[in-house]
This record gives sequence, structure tokens and C-alpha cells, in this order.
Amino acid sequence: MITFKINDREVKARQGWTVLETAREYGIDIPTLCFHEAVAPSGSCRLCMVELKEGDWSKLVASCIYPVAQGITIFTETDRVRNVRRWVFEMLLAACPASAEIKVLAAQYGVVSTRFPSENPEEACMVCGLCMRVCEEVVGLSAISIMDRGVHKKVGSPFLRPSEVCVACGSCVTICPTGAMQTIFDRVRPQPVLPLTQLAL
Amino acid sequence: MKPIARVGVFLCRCGNKIASRIDLAALEARVCRDENVIHCETMAYPCQKPGLELIIKAIAEKGVNRVIVAGCEGRLMMKKMETVLEPLDLHKGQIDMINLRGHVAMVSDLTPELKAEKGAKLITAAAAEMVMMAPSLQTLAKIEGPVMIVGKGVASFTAAHELALNNRKCLVSVASGNPDAILADLHRRYPGESQHHERLKKIISETVASPHVELITQGELSGLSGITGEYTLTFSAPEGAGPLEYRAGAVIACMDAELSPPQDGFGYDGKNVLFQPELEERILRAGIPTGQIIFWINDYEAGYPEFSQLSTRSAWSLAKSIRDRSDKPRILMMYNEKMPIPLSVAERSVSRKLGILWVPFDKAVYPTLQDGYISFCNLNDHVEHEIPWDLVVLSPQRQLGESEKRTARILGLLHKEERFLTGHHVRVRPDMVGREETYLAGSAKYPCDLHEAMRQGRKAAKKTAEMLQKAEDNELYLPRVVCVVDAARCVGCGQCQELCDCGGISVVEGGGGGLPRVVDPMICMGGGTCAAACPYNALTLQNNSTDQREARVAALARQLRPDEVVAMACAWGGLPAADNAASLGLKYDPRIHILGVPCVGQIDPSVLARAFLAGAPGLVLIGCLPEECHHSFGLDHAWSRVNFMKKLLTLCGFDRQRIALAHADLNKPEEFIRTAESFVQTIAALGPIEKTPENISKLQSLYAMAKRNSRVRFLLSAGLRRPWETEFRGDQRHGLDYDQDFSAVLAEEFMQTRVMELLKMEQRFFNLQEIAGKLNEDENQVGERLWEMVHDGHIKRSFKNHQPLFGLN
Repeated sequence: MITFKINDREVKARQGWTVLETAREYGIDIPTLCFHEAVAPSGSCRLCMVELKEGDWSKLVASCIYPVAQGITIFTETDRVRNVRRWVFEMLLAACPASAEIKVLAAQYGVVSTRFPSENPEEACMVCGLCMRVCEEVVGLSAISIMDRGVHKKVGSPFLRPSEVCVACGSCVTICPTGAMQTIFDRVRPQPVLPLTQLAL
Repeated sequence: MKPIARVGVFLCRCGNKIASRIDLAALEARVCRDENVIHCETMAYPCQKPGLELIIKAIAEKGVNRVIVAGCEGRLMMKKMETVLEPLDLHKGQIDMINLRGHVAMVSDLTPELKAEKGAKLITAAAAEMVMMAPSLQTLAKIEGPVMIVGKGVASFTAAHELALNNRKCLVSVASGNPDAILADLHRRYPGESQHHERLKKIISETVASPHVELITQGELSGLSGITGEYTLTFSAPEGAGPLEYRAGAVIACMDAELSPPQDGFGYDGKNVLFQPELEERILRAGIPTGQIIFWINDYEAGYPEFSQLSTRSAWSLAKSIRDRSDKPRILMMYNEKMPIPLSVAERSVSRKLGILWVPFDKAVYPTLQDGYISFCNLNDHVEHEIPWDLVVLSPQRQLGESEKRTARILGLLHKEERFLTGHHVRVRPDMVGREETYLAGSAKYPCDLHEAMRQGRKAAKKTAEMLQKAEDNELYLPRVVCVVDAARCVGCGQCQELCDCGGISVVEGGGGGLPRVVDPMICMGGGTCAAACPYNALTLQNNSTDQREARVAALARQLRPDEVVAMACAWGGLPAADNAASLGLKYDPRIHILGVPCVGQIDPSVLARAFLAGAPGLVLIGCLPEECHHSFGLDHAWSRVNFMKKLLTLCGFDRQRIALAHADLNKPEEFIRTAESFVQTIAALGPIEKTPENISKLQSLYAMAKRNSRVRFLLSAGLRRPWETEFRGDQRHGLDYDQDFSAVLAEEFMQTRVMELLKMEQRFFNLQEIAGKLNEDENQVGERLWEMVHDGHIKRSFKNHQPLFGLN
């Protein structure tokens, strides 16, 4: 058993658990978006940041991938955590203005507007990769992936064509935390196969 | 001995998502009261490491051997649960998940207490199913012996070559093992591919010389029996000798499509208007032709634009080889403006250097071949231009040859009378994707070039070698949810084999009727419509049987209020639509109770009947969109079974609308909600089925018919849509006259069942008036039925005071 503290409360965990898992087991709320229990955590959205204090210095860690250790002290609601969370929310609001889910979650944490400009008002995807991970780890396929790099990153099937590999199970739509997959899915799933003779000339 | 089911239920708080909306203490108390459940526990997150450790502990302490996790979407979480619980000897089928969050907590405004009640209904129904479940043993797949490569396609050699590299024995059925003879004939199926010939020659020579490869150059494939791992292939021997038999562990089919001249309308004459293979033949025999050669890529005009790229590549490579060898002929390529030219930048530059002209023509006006000239409409000026020609080369038509069709039919690959063997949609387990590649290669699968055919052969061999290696290492288990035949009950009617789309069902040995069937577990996809169609209940979908589903639907229906309905939602349409409705935060009528099923096609009519018998006022099946069923035609089969139930409900005097089939697209949850609400309102308006003794006896007869009446069940299966039936006119799966006859038979059998049930119940003799009175039916009709039943020997007639009395034999 590993003993450590979250918000000054003593908690017990086992080797291999993460800070997030332990906090949730004790009913301590930490917001998440790119985390889903069905797949391995990736720590890509940075919303689950918590503060780890050691003596007179501290650092921010992503709780969904930070393993527990004996004697660490974690704080989930310090000024620094709240500040970084607000930043993340503001950036998400600017990056995916079309996502109702993000708006609702941000509002729960008191963020209703953003100081950043938004490039595409229709964008709802935050490119967290949950859809890709569920396709690979749960369904056992790789019909979708993240393509391109940096600011051009996007989710889709190879060559942005309807995928031959996709079985249209819809796991990606269900797991998507922002609702973006609803639109992307219709471009990915195989189109109904027409008899060869009916192909339009 | 069947181990006793010990069901453990684990409820999830899901942070606050479930706990704040459902009274979990009340729910736990309700579930604990269920006699099927030996352990129930509420936890923060059963799906995370801390929660899973608690589940494992509880399983060990309480001896739990069936697990129900009530939390969120089983579609997402089940894999993790199965992986974690597998070391505890809990396998697929022994674990179930209820979407408490998505089907109960988030989607309505009920009070937490009422939501607890609804949750408890769903969970106890799942527990009732678990108790009925008889888990199958984990069985290793045994695949021994050589790999058989049939079909005589050119990919046979690359496949055999690859297997030989993997030190696997293989038997290859080919026309000849002489590389030069094979290459000399190759242009008939793959024109203009001489650039690959040298490589192929090397592969063929190496394959033929390999000690692992045995060539079969005599005889035609005439039969296949057995299942994966123990196939027996028969070859008809030439000239009167007895048939040759070979044993094989796996079979790979390598077949090439046949090329034939284009149909009428393109001026084909075989002399100066040729198609591509003929040009190559002429070059081989008579050398390079001279004059103006026009390659007309006529695939668009002939009605198969999808192959235009392939034809263009062949034409280009033929043109290039002509120009490489002589600068005398002038070459011109004519193509439909809609077609993109499949040439790389480098190839375009080569084409310019060789002076090969590419001329697009207006798609609206087809080129016309005339004496000495070919006319076409120019794109730029819309003037009809003319070009003189000496030789016109057309694209070939591609289709399956007779010998390929025969082989495919023997192997069970040809389910649909289509031009090629590819089937796309049947992919229901991830391990099924790519399985097509383990047994099929070559251009008969779908037109492709030589390079692709050779690659497919290699890939098929590689996958097969991997499978054999896995079997050898004792890592290959038979899939758990597959059909099994009870040979004692099977009468060999063959309905299942006709309906099966995966080709997993075959006759035990030999041919002919009356022989029991056997299922190949490595091929069966667990669709289960065959099991639901069996007139004699000889087929069972193991670990997911009809008995289980009956128990579940009955347990749920018993607890329903008079205005609540059961919905059976398919895992590819209705269920994900419901899940997605919840994740979008939509709300709908809470009176609908959703049971997930892998496919609506696997719901036996007896399950539908059982729901009504147990007191459900209404039942809706929510499947995929029409023509998009993941399991062959499960949706259409469900349609027929619903139709059957509608007829029976009418015979009982109940409203037909109490059962319905609906379609849902997983990505349109709003439409799913409209479906759900419309059905719930219909049933609410109808009210419950009164539980009068007469109604109960009618429902019992209805259930007995759906479950056990082989005549009716046979007629029902005979009317189901077959995999090869591609036409679907929208309103009728089968003719109106079939339907009318079916109704008449149902009416007859229903009356008979009711009489039998009555006689069985009372165990005494009745006269006609009594029976008609008890059944509340017309005396003449009952009388007619009774005489026939006596005639058929179902019941006995005796006389008392000259008055006939009827009773059981």
C-alpha cells in the first residue's frame, strides 16, 4: 500500500494506480476530456492537471498519467491549478467553438468566454485521439488515425476516403468527448455498396 | 455437470454522473432481493484499477462465476472487463454490462427512486439470463496437415512460395508447373504485364523445386468436406480413374477472372478490332503491327467504369512495349473525359517521348467506329473529329469463368451470383476483417493487375502461416459465440445452410438430403439467424442462446408496468443510437426498456412470443437501416419474424401494432428517439393485454406455436430472404400469395394448438360444443379442425350416446 495526500486528505493506493484513479476512488472531482476508462490514458488534453507540492516548490502534472508514489502531496484546487484549467478551457473554447460539450463543461468550471481568436467556427474536434485509441484498443482495428502535424492535425481515415476497414460500430462516436465524431464518422464509415452495374456513369 | 450460476452485480457511481441521478442504495437493495443474485456491490468506478481489484476480490471471495457490471456502454467497456477477468476463468458470455448511465440515468427526468426501479428491472433481467447461460469450454483450434491451394490462379505460385519460405507443406493445384508454358499463356488473363514475367518465372521455378510443395496438375476440384483443420478435398481424375482425395488443414483459393471481348456495339471483329489480350497474342505470334493503332479505353461506354484504370494501365504498357520495339506504328489512346489518367509524372514524360497521344472525348457522345475512320466529339470545340485507324484495341470484359465459378461454389465462396467474389459488409468481429485475405487471392476476387494478384497470394499465405503457427503454439482458441448443431435433433432440412451467409454450415459428410449439418466454428460469425430459423431447434448459438434471451425478456416483461415496453436493440444500429442519445444529453420517454442484442436477426420467434406471454404490452425490435445489416440479412429475417408475430397476435385477437420492427442509424440519435417515443405512445394508447384466463391461454398457444411447431417454423424459415437474393422491391420480401397461404396455415395451426393445449390442461374428453365454447370460436370451424386432427392422429375420438367426444391419444 502506498500512502499519500490529496488536498491534505490521506489516501491509500496500490502500485500502478494513477493519481486520477485514486482521487476518483475517494470521490475527489478532477475534470477530464481525453480520458476514458476503456482505453489507455494519453494525457493529451491537460485538463486534469493537478499540483504536486514538495517542500517549497511545486509542479503541475497530468493526473490521468501520473503514477502514485509514497508520500507525495497533491492538490486539485489551488490557484495555480485553477489558472491552468482556465487557460486550457479558453484554448479549447477557441479551438473547438462548435462543441456544445466543451462549452457545458467549461461553464461548470466558470469559464464562459475565451481571449483567443477562433479560426474555424465549425470546428468541434480537439484532436485528443480518443477515437483513434478506441478503434485500435477496443475494436481492434485502425480505421481512423490522426494525420498531419502541428496545427494541421486532424482525425480521419487514410486519404480522407470512406474506410474499407471500418466496421461502422460507432464506438468512436460514443466515446468522443466533444461531439465532433458525429460529423467525421459519416465521412469515415463505408458507404453502402452499390451493385457494380448501378454505378453512375 | 453444469456448474451452478453465481451472479455478482457491480453498480457504478460513475463519479457523480449516476449517483446523483439514481438512488443507488434503493437499486442495490432491489437487486439484492433478486434470488438469482448472490452478491451486489456499489463502487465508485468498477472500470478503473481500484474498482477492478475490488471486483476480483469479490469474485474470489463469493465464488462469483457470472458478472454483471451496471455502469456505462458495454460496447466500449466490455473488452477491458473481459481482458481483466479472463485469468479468473470468466469468458465472453459470462460477463454482461448494463448501460445504467446511458439508458437510465441521463435520458429522462424520472425521480431517482423511479430510475432505481427501472435500473433494477434491467439488471434482474440480465441476471435471469446469466442463470440460464451454460458456458462452453475454451477449446483450442486444431489445424494440422498441409495447406491446399486451389483455383489454378497465378497467385497460387506466390502463395506456395511464401508457405515454402515458412516451412509449411502445401499442395498446389495448377494446370502446369512449367514456367515458360505458364508465362506464354498469362496474357489471356493479365494482358500487358510482361514487366513482371521475369520475377514470376523465378518464383515459379523456385516453388516447383521446393521440397515443401507438391503440385497437383491432374484433375478438377470436385468436392470439399470437413471443417477448418480437417478438410478433405476431392479431385476428379482424368480418364476413368477413381477420384483423388487429399487431406488439408487449410485451403487458399487463388483464382483469376476471365477476360472476354467487349459486347456488341464496339465493332469488335477479332481481326482489326481486337481486345487487349488478342493484341498481345498477335505481337507474340506475328510481331509488331504497323500503321495507326488506336487504344479505345471503352470501359465507361461498356458500363464498367470501375475498371477503366486497370484497362488503361494494360493499354499503356502494351503501347509502350510496341513503341519500345518499333517506331513505325503510330499510337493513340482514346479515353472518356471523366477518367483520370493513371500515369505518374515520369510515365507521362516517357509517353511524350514515345509520341503516344492521349485524346479525351466528350462523355456525351460515344465514339463511332466507321470504315477506316473513328469519329469522336472533341472536348474543346464540340466538333466531331475523325481519325483514321488500322487497328483498334478495346478493353476486355472481366467476369468469373465457369471453372472459377465451379470452384468457388464448391468452396462456399459464391453466395451471390455476382461478377466477382468480394464481399464487403460481413465484418462483425475485428478478427473477421482481413479474414477474407486468408483464403482468397487473385483477380477473380476483384479485378486487379498481376502485381496485385501476386501480392494477394503472398498475403493469403502469410496469414495462413500465422494461423498455423498460432494453432501449433496452442494459442488459437475457437471463438465462443458460434452456432453448434445438436445432431440428434437435426433432420437435415438444410434451411440453416441456405440462410447462412458466412458459409460455415456444411453437411456432415457426402451430399444429399436428410444428413445432419455441422458448423465450422472458425468460419461461423455468430450471426445466429440460422439458429433462430431452425424448425426443430437443433441449432444453438452457444454462450448466447435463445433460452438465455427468453429468460431475459421474460424476466423483464414480468416486471413491466402496463404502459411500459421492451425494445430489443441491435448492437450496430439501435443500441449505439441509444448510447449516443445519452452522450449528447438528449432525453426521451423512460417507459422504453432497452435490451441489447448482437443482431435482431438472432432473435428467435419464441423470444418474441415469450415477451407477450410474460406480460409485455408491446415489443419493438430496433435494427440497422435496411440493406445495412452487419450479419447478412438479419434485419430482413427479423422483419419476417415480426410479420409472423403480427399474424399470430391478430389470430389471438390482439392489436398487431403491439410488435414492430424499426430501423436506426447509430449516428442519428434524434431519429432513434422519435422511433422510441412513437412506439411507446402507440402502446400506451392500446393499454395492456388483460390477463384474463382466455387471453393467457391464447398467449400460451402463441408461445407453443412459435417455439415448437416445426411446420410453422419451417414455413417461416422457407420465406426468409436468402443471401443470394439481391433484388428487394421494398414492400414484399416474398409474394403476396405466399403470405396469404402462410396466414391460412397459421390460422389452422393456431386452432389446433389451442385445442391441444386445452386437452392437455384438462386431461379429459370434450364434445364439440364444449371445445368451441371454451375456445370461444365458431363451432363449424372448430369441428372441421377436430375431424382433421383425428384424421392426422393428433387426437382420439370416441362416442358416448352417439355423440362424438374428443381427447388426447
